[in-house]
Amino acid sequence: MENSNNIYFSKEHTWLKIENKTGTVGITDFAQGELGEIVYVDLPTIGDEFKQDEVLGSVEALKTVSDLFMPVAGEILEINEELMDNPTFVNDNPFDKGWMVKIKIEDLDEVSNLLNSEDYKKLIEK
Amino acid sequence: MKIILFSDIHSNLPALQAFFKDIDKRDYDAIYCLGDLVGYNIWPNEVIEEIRKRKIPTIAGNYDFGIGRKSDDCGCAYKTDEEKANGAISISLTNELINDENRAYLRTLPAHIKVEFQLNNDQLNLLLVHGSPRKINEYLFEDRAEKSMIRIMEQADADIMCFGHTHKPYHRIFNTNEENTSHFRHAINLGSVGKPKDSDTRGSYVILDIKENASVLDKESISVEFVKFEYDIEKAAKAVEDSILPNGYAENLRNGY
Repeated sequence: MENSNNIYFSKEHTWLKIENKTGTVGITDFAQGELGEIVYVDLPTIGDEFKQDEVLGSVEALKTVSDLFMPVAGEILEINEELMDNPTFVNDNPFDKGWMVKIKIEDLDEVSNLLNSEDYKKLIEK
Repeated sequence: MKIILFSDIHSNLPALQAFFKDIDKRDYDAIYCLGDLVGYNIWPNEVIEEIRKRKIPTIAGNYDFGIGRKSDDCGCAYKTDEEKANGAISISLTNELINDENRAYLRTLPAHIKVEFQLNNDQLNLLLVHGSPRKINEYLFEDRAEKSMIRIMEQADADIMCFGHTHKPYHRIFNTNEENTSHFRHAINLGSVGKPKDSDTRGSYVILDIKENASVLDKESISVEFVKFEYDIEKAAKAVEDSILPNGYAENLRNGY
């Protein structure tokens, strides 16, 4: 579990790492474990805008497909192109090489709807 | 051109024999097997030998891939601990039963078969895979989003994509509309000869009919018939129960899941 204090988690199992007003988004280690081997990550286009909790893409694993939800509203600044050829980076390093998109965060206040690592841990242990 | 397509026999010899009996009374021009000959029952050698005897062009399924390499991983993506424990018994029994010659046969099976038709000044690509074009063990269930299915078929340049692996038959048609012209793509899951999971205990296979006017422009020009056939389920289920295989596999056969 990633523990640093600028990382937040959504109940939909995405993580958001905040640096100034830029956020990096990926799925959690718990989520990748539940999904199993990831085969394809369907990501949005740079410049697309999404609201908090809106579906921005999907993750296709061997047996299931899962939607990806935006942890906070924002605009897509960058996508992790490396995942096109190496989708299993998400399994191997969900918090690092497996990041999915970078976003310009619209409203930092929305972060208050997210969980810190301790609360997220409680959620997945339920 | 009538093409018979079948897959997922999974060492079920009574089912394979009934399948052959069923197709032998029909007229057809070609036949392909889309893999997963072995696993989950006691007749891996007999099933392989029957298919080899008939010289049926066959591609590897994930189970064949694993056994061909003497692996203890069938790529089955089991979820629960019980599934994993049961699966371990099945792959270990299959590895024990299979003879060297049949293992070598599984090992050399191709991954895909592509058949290109050139009819009506047009091209029509039939692609045969076990799970999906990108992964031998990917499950393409019927509820997979259209966007995802179209992307997979476009990337593989498949107009008709036939596959198995989920053991649940279906046929979906997508219009991918290229340059303002209709382009119909067919995704066809064959179901399973020897381990059906669609709540119908009978075995299933497909007859694909490529008619003279077959084209991506006309969705009716390609017809797909799903055939179901009865077989001696008790014989296959008893064989499971009389072996070290988990009895649950016998119940699966009796209930079609």
